[in-house]
Amino acid sequence: MRINKVRVPSFIWRIWSVWYRHYSVYFKNLLTNAFPPFLDPLIFLVGIGVGLGIFIGKMEGVSYIEFLASGLLVSTAMFTSAFECSFGTFIRLEFDKVYDGMIAAPLSAGDIFLGEILWAGAKGFFFTMSVLIIVKIFGYIPGPMSYFTPFVGMITGLMFASLSLVITSIVKTIDQFNFLFTGFISPMFFFSGIFFSLQGMPPAIKVLAEFLPLTHSVRLARALCFGRYSIVNIADLLYAAVFITLFGYLSILRLKRKIID
Amino acid sequence: MPIITVENVNKSYGELRAVSDFSFDVDEADCFGFLGPNGAGKTTMMKMIYGKAERDDVLSSTIKVMGFDPANNPLEIKLLSGVVPQEDNLDEELSVFQNLYLYTRFYGIPTALSKKRIDELLDFMELADKKNARIRELSGGMKRRLIIVRALLNEPRLLILDEPTTGLDPQVRHLIWDKIRKLKKEGVTILLTTHYMEEAFEICDKIIIMDKGMKVLEGNPHDLIANHIEKYALQIINKENSLCLEGKIDNNIIRKEESEEMVVYYSNDLKYLEDLALCMDAGDFYIRQSNLEDLFLKTTGRLLNEDQ
Repeated sequence: MRINKVRVPSFIWRIWSVWYRHYSVYFKNLLTNAFPPFLDPLIFLVGIGVGLGIFIGKMEGVSYIEFLASGLLVSTAMFTSAFECSFGTFIRLEFDKVYDGMIAAPLSAGDIFLGEILWAGAKGFFFTMSVLIIVKIFGYIPGPMSYFTPFVGMITGLMFASLSLVITSIVKTIDQFNFLFTGFISPMFFFSGIFFSLQGMPPAIKVLAEFLPLTHSVRLARALCFGRYSIVNIADLLYAAVFITLFGYLSILRLKRKIID
Repeated sequence: MPIITVENVNKSYGELRAVSDFSFDVDEADCFGFLGPNGAGKTTMMKMIYGKAERDDVLSSTIKVMGFDPANNPLEIKLLSGVVPQEDNLDEELSVFQNLYLYTRFYGIPTALSKKRIDELLDFMELADKKNARIRELSGGMKRRLIIVRALLNEPRLLILDEPTTGLDPQVRHLIWDKIRKLKKEGVTILLTTHYMEEAFEICDKIIIMDKGMKVLEGNPHDLIANHIEKYALQIINKENSLCLEGKIDNNIIRKEESEEMVVYYSNDLKYLEDLALCMDAGDFYIRQSNLEDLFLKTTGRLLNEDQ
């Protein structure tokens, strides 16, 4: 008879091992995976920022290109984590059956999806950092505190990962993600203060924007870039914390039912 | 003491009862097989063993696997088990080595030991030269063997195989059977589902034939054949050729089973079957020993049910 010591790997190790799985798969095809989402904000920056910037004087007291660059720092984090935890997760769940394999290892459903959310957070960090480096080189982002914006990218990644996982637990077919992207993510991209200041908007839109997660990310990123901190930023952080906890918890609860009969 | 104890277990999916009041014990280092048509509840029963499915919450129901209840300690059970699921689920993007290495992370096996074990197991499953190949370069049989390697990384006490050889060619099937026998000798307990009667007959010490979520027969495959079905079968490939038998058959010593085109007569009396066959041409029939497949069809019926 074989004697086995029954020592299940620790919670931290299990989460890390799931994170490491995603990391390994992602870095296998780094260029094709990472280049488009990295290029996206730069295209917007050049296409809109430089072009339109000539006609727009200042926005919220800074040049338009600086205003736009500081907002675009976090939008990539949103897109990349939303894609990862919608299409990516759905394919792993329904087509590749990746979780069926993982759940047979000493991992719980909680370990699997928490590790996945944290991976999306890391991607958020990484992408905000990459965009930051480029815009720094062009001199569009001032302020030493802007070096902390990757952490805002991470928070953004965590928020959109948890939200997308909840959507993934609801959709029946992969095409239904169009509702998420066309109906929610794309409008948010335009109405969260990245392209234009929300200050001049009608009150209804202002209120609506406060419900959108990206609005809070953008405000945090700008606070760091331009050194304008206010009590509102505490509320932004609180919003993010509540959002991640709530949707993260809900997503694990719902996705558990998808991998355990 | 049995390594697995299952008592009065039920599993429902909404209205559907996938597993119904099921009980069995598995002894250490045995190979235990589940047979049954599609939809019989084999896979569901296996999933309940390692916590991939939760059994219905009935007070009298028990599952104990190596001393643990999958409802409370699934991680402990999975740490001590290896699972080969019905569907291949390798990471297509990654190489053979990377696929395996990632799983050693899940088990918390130290890196140096992981690498050593991967080499040994690839060797064991005759995949050593594929170590750096990409998954999509592998044939179906190689993928299946690789998943078995993956299930062995943690040196499991219990190996769960859900249709390990479905769709594979005879060479690979025989190789896998041989490896399973070897593992059994090393003391690994094996739980498997299969449609291949030959597979169950070759490697299982004990089998359960299931149908519609219920146990139909349980026992050693050789004993089951000896006790539950006639010894011999006279198989007539083309039904029309059996017309000359009409009127000669004694229903007390013969049991008849037929499909649309074919007919089989079962009996314990070989001489009787031989005499019966005399009126036919040599190529129109053959007489053989009954096998597990005959028993399977006898117990679960020849017709398809709505789940198949």
